[in-house]
Amino acid sequence: MTHLLHTIALHEYMTAALLLLAHLVRPFKLGPPLARLFAGSGALLHGAALGTLLWAQGGEPVGLAQACSAVSLALVVISLFVELWYRQPVLGAFLLPLGTAVLVPAQMGDSGVLVPSLKGPILPLHVTVALLALAAVAAAAGVALVYLLMERQVKLKHFGILFSRLPPLQVLDELNRRLVVWGFVAISLTVISGAFFVRGTGPGLSWSAKEVTTLAAWVMFGALLLARFLAGWRGRRVALLTMAGFGVLLISFFSAFDPVTRVAGVQ
Amino acid sequence: MAELCCAGLSFRTAPLDVRERMALSVEDQDRLMDQLRAGGLEAVVLCTCNRAEIYAAGPGADEALEAVREAICERGGEQARSHLYGHRGEAAALHLFRVCCSLDSMVLGEAQIFGQVKEAYERALAAGAAGGELSRACQAAFACAKRARTETGIGRAATSMASAAVDLARRIFGDLAGRPALVVGAGEIGELAARHLGQARCKVLIANRTLERAQALAEQVGAAARPFEELHALLVAVDLVVCSTASPTPLFTRESVAPAMKARRYRPLLLVDLAVPRDVAPGVHGSAEGVYAYDVDDIQQVIAENVSARAAEAVKAEQIVSEEVARWVRARAVRDGVPVLALLRQRAEQIARAEAERTLQNLPELSDKQRRSVEAMGIAIVNKLLHGPTAKLRALDPSGAPSPLAGAAAELFGLEGEAPPKAAGGKS
Repeated sequence: MTHLLHTIALHEYMTAALLLLAHLVRPFKLGPPLARLFAGSGALLHGAALGTLLWAQGGEPVGLAQACSAVSLALVVISLFVELWYRQPVLGAFLLPLGTAVLVPAQMGDSGVLVPSLKGPILPLHVTVALLALAAVAAAAGVALVYLLMERQVKLKHFGILFSRLPPLQVLDELNRRLVVWGFVAISLTVISGAFFVRGTGPGLSWSAKEVTTLAAWVMFGALLLARFLAGWRGRRVALLTMAGFGVLLISFFSAFDPVTRVAGVQ
Repeated sequence: MAELCCAGLSFRTAPLDVRERMALSVEDQDRLMDQLRAGGLEAVVLCTCNRAEIYAAGPGADEALEAVREAICERGGEQARSHLYGHRGEAAALHLFRVCCSLDSMVLGEAQIFGQVKEAYERALAAGAAGGELSRACQAAFACAKRARTETGIGRAATSMASAAVDLARRIFGDLAGRPALVVGAGEIGELAARHLGQARCKVLIANRTLERAQALAEQVGAAARPFEELHALLVAVDLVVCSTASPTPLFTRESVAPAMKARRYRPLLLVDLAVPRDVAPGVHGSAEGVYAYDVDDIQQVIAENVSARAAEAVKAEQIVSEEVARWVRARAVRDGVPVLALLRQRAEQIARAEAERTLQNLPELSDKQRRSVEAMGIAIVNKLLHGPTAKLRALDPSGAPSPLAGAAAELFGLEGEAPPKAAGGKS
């Protein structure tokens, strides 16, 4: 049943993403509301499927597939929120395909095994904030990509379709700032909650690839925000650093899933 | 029943010297409307720099059109006659609707013409020159123009230098409300730029070599004047600069912009240079993070893109005009009465034929003669049923107006959405 709900949601996301991409190429009035309808109803089904799975597992997420599914849902929700809040359907044309792409591996049905020592009340919180952090930073990287595209049009004086349809530069920069702040807060909570059960033995560092990359991403985003607020960094430089930070966080995400034991969350 | 017609000349048919003679004052326009009203015509006189037209309605379309032409030639001279165009009926409505939607304008999609037609209609209404027929046509044309503006992007992209500059600023900053903007130069272009920025709710500052001129313009447009000497200091505070001075050397160079950018902590700064020779040196664009500078050629390029975008949207607007003209023709036919009868009969006969056909499908054993009898029976029932309503609808009241029952019949039988009967109209 949950697989069926996932499949329907995936198809709804794909339809919504195609509608928004078509709207980007040739705007039509019904495009954005229809896309919102498909993405919104898809997110409801997706949420129901994921909730049912987690409920059956006692609230503890297991495996790469479920993690991808959760990140995908968070990305779709962020995309819908950003689109409605900023009234920029074009942003959805970039964020929604990203959310859809992340859901594809979730369909492959990977079911991991959780190391018994990791079970505990903090694990669901740790995994949830970690996945939310990844989703927020992925969305920020998507917005940064749109910024770089738009900035290129502005700098090269290309007054074509992208110039007239992409959101204004400053709106993109401001949205990037907000998403990075939320992402940084979530990474910080991930690091703090993760520190409680490293190796299941209590606070400390194991210097695993996942821990090192997560800390590196935390330092990068922290430095980025400091540079933004104290030195006035913005624009292209910030967009490039956001994308680099997302790359580091992505490595941390994949290194959390050991290919031998297929353990979710933490090792 | 009164029929719509229009005659006039525009930039498409007449050179400027002919159009100049038809640039009538408001008093002249009122006199012209009075003259046509005395001749039993409803009239709206539209005079803009690109067109002079009279829309009229009277019992005989050809006579009305001739009277309107004569009235124009009285003012514009015999030379105007060869530049005149004229339409009646549906063609006149189509012309009026296209003019209101700015599909017949020199700058496709410009918004001014809609206001000008509305103003002309209101003046005619105040003078008692616009009666029922003309009012209905104008109201339908206004509704069509509003629909075209809402449902298409015909008026969305900027096509003047000043509005394109504001559009460009929106592509970088988004909403411009409350954003500080500096206009350098208090000439004609500076004034237009200040007005457009004011409309975008920017906080406008004006700097000019002669402070008094800056102050005078600032007072006109609701801005604030600043001494020319503060120009470079102002770069730190404002986000957008529009230049249009006659300075022979650039006012802003890489060297003068760089310290300002550092002081602004690289917040984006847009410099739009509408001056020739340039006020912003060529190397300023992209010289530091966040500096964007555009000159006249760039703005022309933006305008060219916008014009082609408007042309694409015009196709959609033409479709809306066709739909709205068809609706106007239908509404007119319903008011006319006789077409209602034709529509009613057409609908009833369609039903009779469809029902006869369905019955005959279940009776394959019938001969051809018997089949024809069944079909004839259906039509005979229609004729008998419609005999009474036909007589009533054909009965005109003593004033010559159509039967008041026509509208009720159309509504009762749901005929308002039917395909329009062929209406009289054409270009002459």
